[in-house]
Amino acid sequence: MSGQAAVVDQATPEPLAPMSHQKVVVRRAVAARKFDQPRFLYVFTALVFVYLFAPILVVFWFSFNSRKSLQVFGSFSLTWYGKLLEDSNIISSLVASVEIAFVTMVVATVLGTMLAFGLVRARWWANRPTGTLMLLNLVTPEIVTGIAFLLVFSQLGLTLSLGTVIIGHITFSIAYVTIIVRGRLAAINREVEEAAQDLGANDLQAVRLVTLPLLWPAIIASGMLVFVMSFDDFVTSFFTTGIGVQPLPLRIYSMIRFGVTPEINAVGSLMMVITIVIVLAALFVYARQQRARLAFLAE
Amino acid sequence: MSVAANRLWRLMLAPAGLWLVVFFVAPFSIVIAVSLATTDFLGRPVFGWNPENYQQVFDPLFIPVLVRSAAFAVAATALCLLIGYPVAYMIARFGGRFRNFLIVLIILPWFADYLVRIYAWFVILGDQGVVNGLLHAVGFPGDPPVTFINTPFAVIGGLVYDFLPFMILPIYAALERMDPSLTEAGKDLYGTPLQTFLHVTWPATVQGVVAGVVLVGLPALGDFATAQILGGPNTYMIGNLIQDQFGSGYWPFGAALTIVLMAVLSLLMIFYLRSAARPAEASA
Repeated sequence: MSGQAAVVDQATPEPLAPMSHQKVVVRRAVAARKFDQPRFLYVFTALVFVYLFAPILVVFWFSFNSRKSLQVFGSFSLTWYGKLLEDSNIISSLVASVEIAFVTMVVATVLGTMLAFGLVRARWWANRPTGTLMLLNLVTPEIVTGIAFLLVFSQLGLTLSLGTVIIGHITFSIAYVTIIVRGRLAAINREVEEAAQDLGANDLQAVRLVTLPLLWPAIIASGMLVFVMSFDDFVTSFFTTGIGVQPLPLRIYSMIRFGVTPEINAVGSLMMVITIVIVLAALFVYARQQRARLAFLAE
Repeated sequence: MSVAANRLWRLMLAPAGLWLVVFFVAPFSIVIAVSLATTDFLGRPVFGWNPENYQQVFDPLFIPVLVRSAAFAVAATALCLLIGYPVAYMIARFGGRFRNFLIVLIILPWFADYLVRIYAWFVILGDQGVVNGLLHAVGFPGDPPVTFINTPFAVIGGLVYDFLPFMILPIYAALERMDPSLTEAGKDLYGTPLQTFLHVTWPATVQGVVAGVVLVGLPALGDFATAQILGGPNTYMIGNLIQDQFGSGYWPFGAALTIVLMAVLSLLMIFYLRSAARPAEASA
């Protein structure tokens, strides 16, 4: 389409053809060129990418600044990372955040995967309400669920701790696992399981030996996603953390409130590297299986 | 499917279903109860029937905050749509084999920590930030040359940055699903690009737009960290007001604010879920 338009455009740079038929062609070609080769769109998209990445890269860049300034870059240095390592508060927050994210990942992945199986395979009246509940949970803003947690825990007399943070994180994570795993599960052909059953496997064996291996990439990818979301979570943690060790985002929050320091750049960059590496790994796991499936289908 | 298997699958619904009932549904009833409560001298809720808490929400003192929250959320959503649609269109139509890669690039910054992404704008546009440093160096007058922090622009800009990927992704998905020959058909019928867009592309992707508007609008309306870090007293949003009530304020009022916010958001959610259910039913 665009090639054709370009050819016409080159052949008739000026609309000087006298015949009305040709005029129509030329006018359409010019219109089509605007439509199909929108240089404006290319520039605009490039600018949006700059907008998306500039803030992150600036933080990353200034985390290596030897000076305290945000305006003058002295020389490359790891001073602020060294400061982080000496700050026992930040280290204990980092450890706490990893612990929270790990427990959340394990529990939410198990619960979410089971829910995906139930939603795809059970024939029951409860499917619809459970599915709706999951979607509602997904779209409810965290400030609302966060306050709900705060009130429940205080009414139950539970002391806010890392445990209450984990409960909060698991609750918002289940839906993500379910949606990712359900998508993959629905795409798996039931016939492969039936084939296993024809070969003598019972229901459970068919799931364990045939379906689960096909699902693993989706389960692992969703687990990694949950880890990252829990690790980065601020709002739910804000309402469910007690006194004592705070998750890392809350630590960053109180640092920001005290004013801008280069240490925030360093801890922020560290978190970015951790999460982006995990996200890319998850994408890799997920994409590799999709490629393998395509290869399998092509044979 | 055997009866035993069906029973097994039903059981699979139970753990997560119960979890959501206990930790998602039940807490709401407590928020509602607290929103109608008063407090004792220790600030603990005393349950009762006190609808005054809701009257307080619409007190003239707080109306500006509600209006401002709505205005900020609408502005951020509109900007996300204006920025997000062309980008989604560009990637879906002209991304070629880089499409998946470009989409990953769109999502990737979102995975940087939420607070760090907000704080990054402080680094760039703060009074002592990068841009002011550069402007000062080239001789712009004023100290600082540009004031960005504590203005509505800062908060709206921050919200756009927070949630832009949520607008781009559903629109991209809708554009990708759409058959490109439809636009060609539009042009073959002598439609101008604008006509083709309005009569073919837009109707085919409006589902994605609705999804994007809800996915951006809901969190933007409930956000409080952006206004807190990039804004000031003049840019207070309902989320900040709620947060204050649960910090050192009056819990029942905070709960009433939360319920009002939730009611507004529910309307948007119902709208979204209904429009999302329609194509699923049509394809079934």
